[in-house]
Amino acid sequence: MSVSSAILDDAERPVRAFRRKQLFRRVALLPAVIMLVLLTVVPMLNLFAMALAEISVSRGQTEWVFRPLANLSLLLDDTQFLTATLNTLLFTVLSVSVELVLGIGLALLAASVRRGKGWIRTVTILPILVSPVAIGAMWRLIYSYDFGPLNQILEAFGLAKVGWLSETSIALLSVVVVDVWHWTPLVFLILFAGVEGLPREVIEAARIDGANRRQLLRHIVLPLLAPAIAVAFIFRSIAAFKVFDQIVLLTGGGPGTATEVLSLRLYKVFFEQNIMGYGALLSVVTIAMILAFLLTARFSLRWLEARNA
Amino acid sequence: MKTIPGSARQRWRLKLGAALLAVGFAATPVLAQEDVPDVGEQVPITALINASPWFSGFEAAVALYEEQTGNVVELDVTPYSGMLEKARNAVRGAESTHQLLNIDGGWTVEFYEAGTLTPLNEIDPEFKLPQEVFACGETHWWNAAKRWRTPDGGALYGVPPNCNTHMQVYRTDIFEQAKLTPPVTVDDVAVSCKAVQAASGLYGYVTRGERGSIRFEWSPYLLAHGADIAADMENGDYTVTINSPQALTALTKFLDILKGCGPDNVAALTQNDVIQLMAAGKAAEIQVVVAAMSSLTDPAKSVVAGKLGAVPNPIVDGRKLPSPIGNWSLAIPQNISKEQKEAALAFLKWFVSKPAQEAYVEAGGVPVRADVLEPLADQPDYFWVKAYLSNLDGAVSPFGYAEAAEVNEVLGLRLNQALIGELSPTAALNTAAAEIEAIFRKTGRKTGRLPDLAE
Repeated sequence: MSVSSAILDDAERPVRAFRRKQLFRRVALLPAVIMLVLLTVVPMLNLFAMALAEISVSRGQTEWVFRPLANLSLLLDDTQFLTATLNTLLFTVLSVSVELVLGIGLALLAASVRRGKGWIRTVTILPILVSPVAIGAMWRLIYSYDFGPLNQILEAFGLAKVGWLSETSIALLSVVVVDVWHWTPLVFLILFAGVEGLPREVIEAARIDGANRRQLLRHIVLPLLAPAIAVAFIFRSIAAFKVFDQIVLLTGGGPGTATEVLSLRLYKVFFEQNIMGYGALLSVVTIAMILAFLLTARFSLRWLEARNA
Repeated sequence: MKTIPGSARQRWRLKLGAALLAVGFAATPVLAQEDVPDVGEQVPITALINASPWFSGFEAAVALYEEQTGNVVELDVTPYSGMLEKARNAVRGAESTHQLLNIDGGWTVEFYEAGTLTPLNEIDPEFKLPQEVFACGETHWWNAAKRWRTPDGGALYGVPPNCNTHMQVYRTDIFEQAKLTPPVTVDDVAVSCKAVQAASGLYGYVTRGERGSIRFEWSPYLLAHGADIAADMENGDYTVTINSPQALTALTKFLDILKGCGPDNVAALTQNDVIQLMAAGKAAEIQVVVAAMSSLTDPAKSVVAGKLGAVPNPIVDGRKLPSPIGNWSLAIPQNISKEQKEAALAFLKWFVSKPAQEAYVEAGGVPVRADVLEPLADQPDYFWVKAYLSNLDGAVSPFGYAEAAEVNEVLGLRLNQALIGELSPTAALNTAAAEIEAIFRKTGRKTGRLPDLAE
């Protein structure tokens, strides 16, 4: 071996080691990537393919006929789809707004307590632990026109009973209340962790500078909590956009189309009416809407950050 | 028997019940041994069955089958909302997880057309339903060439576990106090429900008004007025007639009764709500399916047990027209082994036998044999039998075509909108007619529709 080649070898050794490490990392990641592809990408591709076809079942075999325009035409003619989209947006905006406001308030209140924070946290998150079916049964009884405690209280005060789930103007709001009851604790949990992690010295400095409570909240606490609020907002918005169990258990989409939402429309088309191709197209459209929402939210947050900076 | 959901205690109680039933039959050996078919030793099977009010009767019958034959039937008890998906998954897989599927009459056409069920005579060419078994709207027959459910040229695909017709159930004490006779005609219902409501302060007439069920609850009124969804579907004429003047009269009167005599939340009422209102003593009359009778007549569940009477569906102009039926069908999938098919059919043969049906009714089921049901008609505990038999006579399944699921969705929504006042009855029927015509056109049926009704 010549001197020059030995020097070269010495120089290449760390490079080779680095490459080996890189290769090992990639190979180690491979099983996870394969699982991800199999469990996520393949079903997604299958869904897209289904959205372009008319699908039927015969003798235990599915038969696919490539007819993308037929499904598109069904979408354009589907008046309930538009209603469901509007109801879903309204439901998402109302429930997420109330959950964020209540979640922030509860988080600040709990953080200000000196003793028993653990208890408060445990008790507050209990609704998250209840199964959706139990929640549906419980709230159906609460809202019951003839047997529910809400109407019994109203009657005790000499007021008329209310059709909480049967009046078109109220039904969606009644479901929003259940969603708020169920999921505000999650928002609280995320924001409580955020409040507990706020830098005390910044708040103390603001107080010394003479900031009152309102100024503290507006100019210090909320801007510092913004990342946690953004996480809670995105998590809850995605889940609220996909609301299904509460609607099915409480109203079934009625009265009329007052509580018809996208997931329910999709369920009816895919599972009840057995129109699989069009059902798949509705799934794709729903996914596209959620993606569009996420992108809009991301750009809005960046814009807000830039403006605040 | 192994019931998948349910506690060990429940199973123990069930076994005890079955044993008592078996002892009861043993005490009357002529009856017990006369009609029970010898089905021989069979491989174990699993049955998909719904958790409906009549389930306890079916469960007891299965326990008796196991007791008498030694064969095993595992029950997969499933809420109604999960039944269709489980049945579809069973027949679409390489091999079905269930050897017996209980399929709602409204879904059967999908399974027949897909060729996923086994004609019973393919398993045993000699098998025939006993002549005492009710026709039950003939939903268990399928004529593939005609694409219609009929024994005329059709093959037998299943056995009905019940024949679910509506009936009008009323409080005898309240009607007597108000000096009213039970209603016979649609107009009687409209008058008596208001009178009984004014006299008693109870709801005068309650039935399901929610989107998923209202079209079925309206169908006795629709058929009683001589109207139907389409002209002659059995013979291929799918011209939509739901917007006929007769249908409009049927809808106007139905809405008048529901709005005038029902609770303000009638547009959201489910079957459980209707049963609950009667069982809690808040309703004077309800329209309900016969399957609900076990809940209403059980003193542990109903404060009005012993105070109820039943009359057939109301008629119009003195003519008794067919009543609607919404029954189930116990069917055998294609994708199972020959031994499993034979085992499933063995159970069906046993189930329609007279002793099995007697055990079934004893435990709260509604039997499907005339020779079991008719002798009960004069017993006070079975006050509903005469009304039920009257409705069964010539009953039809009004949603027996491939597009029924889509049509039901359209009709349910538009009728519900008429009930809550979002659409006038005329607009509801005109809109439904146009939408149903589009559904039939899409599937290539010979269709059209009547001219729109004038507002």
